[in-house]
Amino acid sequence: MDGWRGTVAMGTISSAFNVISGALDADQSALNVVANNVANANTTGYTEEVPNWQQNQPIVINGVSYGAGVTETGATSVRDRVLTERLDQQQQLASASGSRLQALNTLQALFTPDTGSTTATAGDIGSDITGFFSSFSSLEANPTDNALRQDVLSTAGTLAGDVSNAAASLNAQRSALDQEATGVTSQVNALTGSIAQLNLQIQSASPNADAGTLEDQRQQDIGQLSKLIGINQVTTENNGLSITTTSGQMLVSEGSSVQLSTGMVGGVSDFFAGSTNITSQLATGGGSLGGYLTARDQDIPNALTSLDQLAYGVSTQVNTLNSSGTSLSGTAGNIFSAPVQQAGSASTMSVVMTDPDQIAAAGSGQGTGDNSNAISMAALANRSIVNGQTPSNYYSNFITTLGSTVSQVQTENTAQTASVTQLQTQNDALSGVNLNNEASSMTLLERSYQAASQVFTMINTIMNSVLNLGTQTTVS
Amino acid sequence: MQQIGARGVNPGLKQLVIEASRALARLDADRLEELAQSCRALSRELAGDGDRDKRLLSVSISEAESEMAVFERVLQVTRANVSVMKRLRELREGKLEYREEQSVGWLEGDRRHGDN
Repeated sequence: MDGWRGTVAMGTISSAFNVISGALDADQSALNVVANNVANANTTGYTEEVPNWQQNQPIVINGVSYGAGVTETGATSVRDRVLTERLDQQQQLASASGSRLQALNTLQALFTPDTGSTTATAGDIGSDITGFFSSFSSLEANPTDNALRQDVLSTAGTLAGDVSNAAASLNAQRSALDQEATGVTSQVNALTGSIAQLNLQIQSASPNADAGTLEDQRQQDIGQLSKLIGINQVTTENNGLSITTTSGQMLVSEGSSVQLSTGMVGGVSDFFAGSTNITSQLATGGGSLGGYLTARDQDIPNALTSLDQLAYGVSTQVNTLNSSGTSLSGTAGNIFSAPVQQAGSASTMSVVMTDPDQIAAAGSGQGTGDNSNAISMAALANRSIVNGQTPSNYYSNFITTLGSTVSQVQTENTAQTASVTQLQTQNDALSGVNLNNEASSMTLLERSYQAASQVFTMINTIMNSVLNLGTQTTVS
Repeated sequence: MQQIGARGVNPGLKQLVIEASRALARLDADRLEELAQSCRALSRELAGDGDRDKRLLSVSISEAESEMAVFERVLQVTRANVSVMKRLRELREGKLEYREEQSVGWLEGDRRHGDN
């Protein structure tokens, strides 16, 4: 507002009327702004506007300067970038944990034991392991019994089938997540394109003041974009805005946007900004895309690796022992398909032995009635043959780790969703069109926090008090 | 209000913690203050003839542990939000002060014009 500092050397009586009519116009403009707020009370994303007043140039009459009143120069939306950026940032985290949690729940459901069902599923792998090694224990008692030998192959087939089916399901889930992730790209491109256009309009229409509804639209687009990917916002000259990924890759630079594209790399889609591969940036950045990519590139591969280690350890050790013993048919080959390498072992796990007589229950050089090799194979259940652990413990730890990850992401998602709800409440009070004012909203936030802190502290104290009573045995 | 700490009644600590997390998410200060009162009452009861009640509570506590972890995280993000809002208020107050300084300048300017 530099204009008020200058003077206008004019001295007509109409100037005085201009002072009065200017004031009336300003009042009318203010009323229009209020009316606009009321009319838009239910418009999503609309930000309350307050009128701007600009002091008019003083009027000089006979060398004496008179105040020239005020002119309403437009409306400034009551938005605050600190709050909206915090809200956008929390939204990115909540969306990321939400989409990751959705994928993890699907993953966990795959490994949940299906009690009461006779259908073999991945959830039965734990009992499959026990059943398989128990079949060798049974064979010890009567090593030439054909039914017991059939049972060994049958339980081996169940274990191999459930492991390979689980791996297939994981790969299918990974493909589905890949499709979800690539589907986000077009939405991101539409939004960044829209933000770039709005930047141009805002910079053209209102380079030095709040651009009202245009900024509302831009903020809505940024809010939508925050649900999809992690972003940083940088304000630029003339009310412009640049947007980068959280790792700094430019997505919107004032009036231009960088379109994302995808391409298949190693069986999954990678994401590019121009020629730059930003897949890992997007995975750690946030938004639903970040969650999808974390599940696709971290959680599912981790689960597959665990299954591969299990399949590789069991297949290799069982095959080695069986090959070293003496079978009824004279030929003692592999029970399971021999894995070439650890990676992919779960997908290819299968039973290749068809003749139960090929099971080498007897030790090397022993008669067919010997059971020493069956004892050794049963004992594999208690040997550390999978990544330094017994097969059952390894699988159990895998399930526990998966459950712990789900729990952690669930906790994060609950907290981040709560944070978004709180900030939305604050934002509505600040920039929404309602009768709440900022002070009461802030008071509510502080009161809630203080009361919640008291609840937490007291429950924590009660918990410690009870645990110190010596009843820890009931608490894990 | 949930009956907690009553003799022979499952204290339902887990439900209390879940409700506290939800109330904090939606900034229901009234409900949180009620819950705080309930906790105070429970604490007083346990401080007195509380050994039997404590034993009753022990099972409920193990059930509430994971919910406490969630509540703690919600509390942490709320604290961060309070910090952001306080900072925001300071910025806005600073902005107001700056505007007041400007308005003084305008008045001086007006006087100067008037003195001419």
